[in-house]
Amino acid sequence: MPVIDLWAKDGYLSTPDGNSIYFWGFSKSETGPAQLPGPHIVARQGETININLYNTLTEPVSISFSGQSGIMADGQPVQPQYTDGKLLSFFNHAEPGGMVSYTFTPSFPGTFIYESGTNPHKQVPMGLYGGMVVRPADYNPDAREFKTAYGAGTDTEYDREYLLITWEIDPDMHQAVEEGKPYQVSKFLPRYWTLNGRCAPDTMLMDGLDYLPHQPYGSMIMGQPGEKILMRYIGAGIENHPLHPHGTHTRVVAVDGRLLRNENVDLSFKRFTVLVGAGQTYDQIYQWDDLGYTTQNPIPTILPNLRNMGVGDAGWTMWSGSPYLGVKGDIPVGVVSYNEFGEYYFMLHSHEELQITNWGEFPGGMMTMVAIYPSLSPAVGILE
Amino acid sequence: MATITRVLQVSTGSLSLPGGNIPFWGFADALRVIPQLPGPIIEATAGDRILIFLMRNFFRPIGEPISILFPGQENVLVRKIPGGPFILEPVKPQYSSGKIISFTNFLDELQDLIIEYSFIARKAGIYLYESGTNPEKQIQMGLYGIIIIRPPGYNNPGHPNFKTAYGTDTNSFFDVEKILVLSEIDSVMHNDVLPNVYYDMLKFKPDNWVINGRSFPDTVNEDNNSSQPYGSQINCRVGQRVLLRIVNAGLQNHTLNLGGFVGLVVAEDSFPLKTSTLDATYEKTSLTLGSGQRMDIIITPNASGEYYLFDRGYHHLVNNDHFPGGMMTKINVSS
Ligand SMILES: [Cu+2]
Repeated sequence: MPVIDLWAKDGYLSTPDGNSIYFWGFSKSETGPAQLPGPHIVARQGETININLYNTLTEPVSISFSGQSGIMADGQPVQPQYTDGKLLSFFNHAEPGGMVSYTFTPSFPGTFIYESGTNPHKQVPMGLYGGMVVRPADYNPDAREFKTAYGAGTDTEYDREYLLITWEIDPDMHQAVEEGKPYQVSKFLPRYWTLNGRCAPDTMLMDGLDYLPHQPYGSMIMGQPGEKILMRYIGAGIENHPLHPHGTHTRVVAVDGRLLRNENVDLSFKRFTVLVGAGQTYDQIYQWDDLGYTTQNPIPTILPNLRNMGVGDAGWTMWSGSPYLGVKGDIPVGVVSYNEFGEYYFMLHSHEELQITNWGEFPGGMMTMVAIYPSLSPAVGILE
Repeated sequence: MATITRVLQVSTGSLSLPGGNIPFWGFADALRVIPQLPGPIIEATAGDRILIFLMRNFFRPIGEPISILFPGQENVLVRKIPGGPFILEPVKPQYSSGKIISFTNFLDELQDLIIEYSFIARKAGIYLYESGTNPEKQIQMGLYGIIIIRPPGYNNPGHPNFKTAYGTDTNSFFDVEKILVLSEIDSVMHNDVLPNVYYDMLKFKPDNWVINGRSFPDTVNEDNNSSQPYGSQINCRVGQRVLLRIVNAGLQNHTLNLGGFVGLVVAEDSFPLKTSTLDATYEKTSLTLGSGQRMDIIITPNASGEYYLFDRGYHHLVNNDHFPGGMMTKINVSS
């Protein structure tokens, strides 16, 4: 039986504007850093998993596993917990310094959120959440028809997959918790908006950077023309966020870890924007094959005004530059290369535009890119 | 086909919330006098004529013109004494000096005695009725209620529509039914509002989150005779089909988490998702409802125990900033 340890801890997250914010998160081990979001849990349909929660925080912590049934805590069915007749946790919790052991058998494949079920008005906005992916029972990444989100024959085959978790930060609330001051959720006013715990442009950086020890997951979506890219969205915040990628629509194949299909009736639908609701998940297939692109028919690009391209120091630019999958154009003075690999970028962002800022400064926040490469290693876009 | 007649009034009253009592405006059954939140539930069978008399309140009027809108109902007719129209005619927006003052015909309590709205309850489902006059203010002050329209035969054992929300073959059969009306309350506004005086809704900042007019833990108390008569606790047994009829009567969106259950969405805005040709029902663990939207969900608990249904907008699970509270209720599943 797979055993996963999660340690509830505190730490400091970084924002691109130089802020350092106290948070609570789950860690993979006793010595590892608290991370945001918590470690991805990848399970398999029908296979019992055991999740041990160790609590190093000063208040009780529990985990709720939305969409799962038959969850046991220390051998008994999970139940709400009370102190002096007052509700404390939606589910069995670990006391400070203590632990609780959950076991369950996912009976459905899909994308799920796991999050604190204790003082959730504080603990989830403080960072105690993560994503869980349940593979279908017949999942086999080496066979095309079995590399699916929901099982063979469900029209959910994919080439690469990415998990994007939305969340928002009110720095004052985090500071209040750090300093032990009253936590007044009625004054909740987010100033940062994150994808996988990072604000843009950090969202576009690699996974596992040394200088972002608490925010290990990047959000850059990478693929090739025509590939089926599975995007799994999870709303971990307490607000809703309208996310949309440029380039093409997505086909929503499942919500809350349930396939949109009734026997032979396909209920999947295409959307320009998906409103990522609090606590909900959305699995979508993104397939970019527009503009008649082939390697023989590259798409010509007209260079925009240099002032609209240059961002930051020489060699750094937000614009992928000319040409898309084609012939290189002139390179402005001081720029070594726009796009070494000939890739083309589409933005993916919250359509509530305040949320693509860091404390009001554009660009930032809930924004990343979809990068389409002429060729890309099959090792990219794997969730583990 | 029957005629369902209800006589309503609009009255000032008092709500009991965790922070204390606040004034509100509510619909009252004219015989019962006490205004309530939500307003009295009106129940009918598809095909019935619903006849609603809104009577002048001589004792505790709110002091503003009042009216009722019936979103989702068609061909609503109106007549009014003594202001007219005297012969039934379709409701229409009301203007004063070219400016809209009400979405529908209203009762002016300084001159009118009674206004009558009537319509045929055509489609089974769950509907709101709410104020159509100064609605930005009056609905927040409490002027909303629920209409349930049953399919014919729903209370007739042996009839194919027996105990269904939308009739046979809509996958809406239920053993237990619970209406959950979501809303939020701004206690400052409730204390400050004056009749016929402009209230700046930009100041709207709710501080109470309610199901059926109550915040947790009051939500789990039983139905009673107060101004917040409807409890929200759900009691059922393992294996029963529990129909949750979720209505967002508030000014904000709310996301109801089904407490760990996975619910089958059988209708949205009272349109059943399963028809004879297409089964478009789908499953969810949480549901986001915009203002005025309704969802009918079936959950089938497979294990006994206690479960909480709550607003996944966790900042709405507090009373005076303290958890637990707000928009939350409980399901007790016995074996
Ligand atoms: Cu856009």
